Amino acid sequence: MIMLADVKKSYDNEVVLQNFTMTVSKGEFAFITGPSGAGKSTLLKLLYCYEHADSGHIAVDNWIVSQLKIRTVPYFRRSIGVVFQDFKLLCNKTVFENVALALRIHNMEPEEITKRVIAILKEVKMHGKADVYPQYLSGGEQQRVVIARAMVTQPMMLLADEPTGNLDAENTRTIMRLFREINARGTTVLIATHNEDLYFGSGSRVFFLKDHHIEKEIIG
Amino acid sequence: MKILRYFFDTAFRNIRIDKWANLLTIISISIGLSILCAFVMITFNMDSVIQRWSNSFGLVVYLNQDISKETEASLQKRFQQDSDITEVTYISKDVALEEVKKSLGTNAVLIDDFNKNPLPSTFELKIKSSLLDPLVIKKKAADLKTLFGVNDVLYGEKWLSSLSVIAKTMKLVAIVFACAIFIATTFTTYNTIKIFFYRRKEEIKTLKLLGATNTFTRFPFLIEGLFVGITGGVVSALFILGLSSFTTLKVVEFMPSIKAIMAPFPLQVYLLIPVTGAFMSLLGSFIAVGKIRY
Repeated sequence: MIMLADVKKSYDNEVVLQNFTMTVSKGEFAFITGPSGAGKSTLLKLLYCYEHADSGHIAVDNWIVSQLKIRTVPYFRRSIGVVFQDFKLLCNKTVFENVALALRIHNMEPEEITKRVIAILKEVKMHGKADVYPQYLSGGEQQRVVIARAMVTQPMMLLADEPTGNLDAENTRTIMRLFREINARGTTVLIATHNEDLYFGSGSRVFFLKDHHIEKEIIG
Repeated sequence: MKILRYFFDTAFRNIRIDKWANLLTIISISIGLSILCAFVMITFNMDSVIQRWSNSFGLVVYLNQDISKETEASLQKRFQQDSDITEVTYISKDVALEEVKKSLGTNAVLIDDFNKNPLPSTFELKIKSSLLDPLVIKKKAADLKTLFGVNDVLYGEKWLSSLSVIAKTMKLVAIVFACAIFIATTFTTYNTIKIFFYRRKEEIKTLKLLGATNTFTRFPFLIEGLFVGITGGVVSALFILGLSSFTTLKVVEFMPSIKAIMAPFPLQVYLLIPVTGAFMSLLGSFIAVGKIRY
């Protein structure tokens, strides 16, 4: 469950979110959309604790995110998966190592890491490129690796920031199918996008962001 | 253990990637430590020379002319029991006279004119080298002077204070120099690790976003610093060992007198150099990774 209540966030006196209230249920698949600069990415950054709200309350499952101590933040982040807009893949590590990194941070046994990474790479159809470095992959392939890295820890929630921004129609369909599969296993998925093709006809809730708050909420 | 293995793997992979920067740091550390060791070696040898000089230092206790044999014997016993005194030599007034005559040579006839031996009996006392401080010796001399049967106590007061000033100055210079090298070496590692850290800023940021703790992101940098310090220390120890062997084998050939004042480093010192390097580098790395905010 995601809950934001009366949240305010500004950068150098420029307000991005104000009186922002939103709830996403556990296991839900939801979209957040709006024009560029509306605050979609900021909202996700608040949720994975990269940014801190000026005021208001943020909760994700049993975590009171707005009151987290710096020492606790890493442990909270381990419970969520994030698909970053700019991928954030490490170019000095192979596909396998990039995905394994998330599990190493969890201090998992090497055998278990290998088993899980191979399984998730098969799922996103990237097991054939496990030893390839990210810079030699296409945008769609990189995106699938990022999804694999976000999912390999079996998080309770998946946040995706413009996950299909630079992808063609076929890759977009593949990525969205993966998200649906992940959601079907009980993971809450929240996708920030400005691509209306993603949510129209999806049957999921869509939050429209405008003027620092949610202007409307529809079923896509 | 599994996480430690990951830290070591990451550290050594980073060392390979930044091999030239690491090599330069190792060279800087080994130069710094070698200069420090060379200076310590000089100080160590100078100290042994001073120690040798101080061995010849003694107090001369002049006894009263009319002192009885019993009092002389009791004084001798008291001096021998004194833990501050390492050697007691008794010179009777007759022996003293003979020595004066010997030193005067043909002029000894001048003394023959005396009806009575004017020289007093004396005790020559050697004091523990650890007590060779002008103030301590002054107090000791004053204490001895108060003893029954003692007329006066004399010693090379100016010589002792000069020796003390030389020894103290040397120690002070050594401490200042050691501190300067310590700070320089620590700062070198600090700077290197900080540069590495900033170069991998994006990687660290990603790790943090995936839920890595500070320990997880910083530990490989500490290992890297430790490796650089130990390697720099080993290079420095080998250099100093080579220099010392060269001096012992080659320089002695055309400067045999140097052997008399040369005090070789104990083996433990050579082991201590990499430990010192490791400590300084670890400290530098620790400050570097601790100061960085992201």
